Amino acid sequence: MNRARIAPRVALVLVACLVAAGCGSPGGGATTEPAGAGFPIEVAGTVIPAAPQRIVSASASHTEILYALGVGEWIVATDQFSDFPPEAGATTKLDAFNLGVESVAAFTPDLVVLSYDPGDLCAGLAALGIPTLLFAPPLTLEDVYGQMRALGAATGLEAEAGALVAGIEGEVARLVAAVPPRETPLTYYYELDPTLYSLTSATFVGGLFGLLGMHNIADAADPAGTGFPQLSAEFVLAADPDFIFLADTRCCGQSASTLAERPGWASLAAVAEGRVVPLDDDVASRWGPRLVDLLAAVAGAIAAPGGG
Amino acid sequence: MTAPRPLRRLSPLAVGVALVLLLGALLAGLLVGAVGLSPGAVLAEVADRLPFVSVDSGLSEQEAAIVWDLRLPRVVLAALVGATLAAAGASYQGVFRNPLADPYLLGVAAGAGLGATIGIVTLGSASAVVPAAAFAGALAAVALTYALGGATGGGRAGTTLVLAGVAVAAFFTAAQTFVQQRHADTVREVYSWILGRLSTVGWSEVALLAPYAGVSLMVLLLHRRLLDVMAVGEEEAETLGVSASRVRLVVVAAATLGTAAAVAVSGLVGFVGIVVPHAVRLMVGSSYRVIVPLSVLGGAAFLVLADLGARTLAAPSEVPLGVITAFVGAPFFAVVLRSARRGWGP
Amino acid sequence: MSGIIARGVGVRYDGRVALEGVDLEVPAGEWAALVGPNGAGKSSLLRALAGTVPSSGTVAVGGRSRHEMSRRRWARLVAAVAQHPVLPAGLTAAEYVLLGRTPHLGYLAAESRRDVVAALAALERLDAGALASRPLGSLSGGERQRVVLARALAQDPEVLLLDEPTASLDIGHQQQVLDLVEGLRRERGIAVVAALHDLTLAAQYAGRLVLLDRGRVAAEGPATAVLTPEGLAHFSGARVALLRGPDGELVVAPRRPA
Repeated sequence: MNRARIAPRVALVLVACLVAAGCGSPGGGATTEPAGAGFPIEVAGTVIPAAPQRIVSASASHTEILYALGVGEWIVATDQFSDFPPEAGATTKLDAFNLGVESVAAFTPDLVVLSYDPGDLCAGLAALGIPTLLFAPPLTLEDVYGQMRALGAATGLEAEAGALVAGIEGEVARLVAAVPPRETPLTYYYELDPTLYSLTSATFVGGLFGLLGMHNIADAADPAGTGFPQLSAEFVLAADPDFIFLADTRCCGQSASTLAERPGWASLAAVAEGRVVPLDDDVASRWGPRLVDLLAAVAGAIAAPGGG
Repeated sequence: MTAPRPLRRLSPLAVGVALVLLLGALLAGLLVGAVGLSPGAVLAEVADRLPFVSVDSGLSEQEAAIVWDLRLPRVVLAALVGATLAAAGASYQGVFRNPLADPYLLGVAAGAGLGATIGIVTLGSASAVVPAAAFAGALAAVALTYALGGATGGGRAGTTLVLAGVAVAAFFTAAQTFVQQRHADTVREVYSWILGRLSTVGWSEVALLAPYAGVSLMVLLLHRRLLDVMAVGEEEAETLGVSASRVRLVVVAAATLGTAAAVAVSGLVGFVGIVVPHAVRLMVGSSYRVIVPLSVLGGAAFLVLADLGARTLAAPSEVPLGVITAFVGAPFFAVVLRSARRGWGP
Repeated sequence: MSGIIARGVGVRYDGRVALEGVDLEVPAGEWAALVGPNGAGKSSLLRALAGTVPSSGTVAVGGRSRHEMSRRRWARLVAAVAQHPVLPAGLTAAEYVLLGRTPHLGYLAAESRRDVVAALAALERLDAGALASRPLGSLSGGERQRVVLARALAQDPEVLLLDEPTASLDIGHQQQVLDLVEGLRRERGIAVVAALHDLTLAAQYAGRLVLLDRGRVAAEGPATAVLTPEGLAHFSGARVALLRGPDGELVVAPRRPA
């Protein structure tokens, strides 16, 4: 999900609270009962009768997780944003904005993975007896690990999921440990789009930055606690963050040079001294195995000479 | 209200009051913002730029950039947009003899919306093509309105044009909705453009708008006496030697040019074009000789203050400008209406 | 001052013939009244003379035809008062009358002191000087009609066209308005062409009557020649008796059969 991430994300947190009968919402932090080797297995309220061999994934993050678990060959359809790994891009596409019960059921799936529930899709699929997992956006790394384990259980690959999680945990710990300690924390501004929508440290991505010991300037601008405040140019200028991370490089063509052209932005230390870090929109907005790449990119940027 | 004099001219007093109001608004816009800068420091910073004056304002480089690269161009642009829209609204009210006329009457808003939507869905909202597309869309809509409704002559030409504008606006709006539906992921960007905002403007937008606003304002101000003549209707205007269709064409062209350029840089800001001329009319009478110039000054002051509200009410984020003008415009207008009605006779 | 000469004037609205082959000559200082039933073409003729409606034939003032000159130049020669004038409620009478100076100004020019003086003088001449500061919306019917006439006078025309100037006025104000027009005619030698529905007033004020019927001139001449009971019964379907007032003036009295 690129540009859709904001509205659906906020909506999703609300939607995830609705658990239709038979529609599992592992969401954040929910653990599943480890079944034995066998099926049927219950994952957060949804019974999955057998190891799925026809999976529909309408969530780009979970598509990546499924491929990392090795079940890519059993994926029959994905949404248009599921483009990684490259094989995922070649699967049949559903329109994430126009998901209907018929269009999904037409693939006769035995497992459907969603990250948001448009118009009672969950309930509709449950009524047809199709096991569906609705994953809310995670707020912490633990939430992500929980979702990975849930998918592992749902596909009968608990061991692979455990290994995936362990690998990510180890990588994260290594990156965090490699960050040199600082007297005053580095401040950063994270840009979601050119109208200055940002995210705070209370979000998943913001939490990752927090692991690296960085301080988010948007935290002061979000009294309502939405997690995604819109900042004003004056605010960013006055805050003069040490680093600027751009998550709108692909959707909206932003870069260090376009930032320098914005009125007044050339006076920012980060712009003048080359501390504007472009991120891959997709990597920065998903919570699959590539979150390690995001963390590595950030850690590498702040560790480089010239970085604070 | 005191008894009107036989011939109301543009009194220096009224102009003076309006100018003071505008300057006050500009000053407030400069001193107040999302980030609290001490007024003294801001004034010192401005004074420092004057020739022969050298003052240390104590502002950091970023804070100085806030004053010169963010607030000042934004305040100037708000004034230009407000002046242009108010003059266009007043002129439309005169040339169509319709108190409900606003600058978007002939399809400008719908055309600009369609142009902007197409620009945003193809190239993203940060692209420089979007204002140009909005401008082109606005002009195309009015041209189409004229082609549809300008064919008839005689006493009903004005009404026919307005009705053609309604049809064109409906068509363009439907087209815009269709395009938006096919690209639902850009809904938020398009919506935020439509609601009107000055949040990303700098001196380049001022330079973009200034020539169009200048031409538009100049032509409209020059035609204010003719607007008074148009008040007696098209047929009687002809007996007075004025070609109603020619006056209408020139006024519409000038107003559209200014409005299209204003909309291109600021999005759709409503209410200014209809409320400011009415408020001026209630205060100083019905002659367009007086209404147009005072609407220019009043519209500029109004929008500068509305933008101030947009920047500060929900700081550090922004309220869309169109929302502020509607929320503020309506009660403001009600107050003016009540106080004026007490003064007027039956 | 010159009069107005119309030859072969015809007006069509969407293919319907409203006027055909009308000749009319009103020398300077003369008053011609247009009479006839509703729909006879009186308003159409006045519009054709004013030039606000496309017409065939020629209309000329002082030897110069309408086609030879700009709209503005024509408006300096011919002033027209509409049947239902638009009176913007917020304008004062003086501002409204000042609009009458428009034909004497350039396209974008503003009025001069002379124009203001002319406008106020026109109001005075029409016994409406006291109304100068009053907003139009606050005027009575009679006052409004005088202000409208003042605007026409401010145009300083050679020809004055009036479309039912006395409709909706009470009898006192009817006479007041017509007396004022009569005064202008005498003083300035203005040629007056007025459509009047009241035949008695037409007979008493106009030197010549022109009877229109279905777009053509049916009769023309002094009142005694045009207004005959037989003629009126034929063209208007009215039953009238022609009487004489105390000073010999012609009175057209409607008759109700006993």
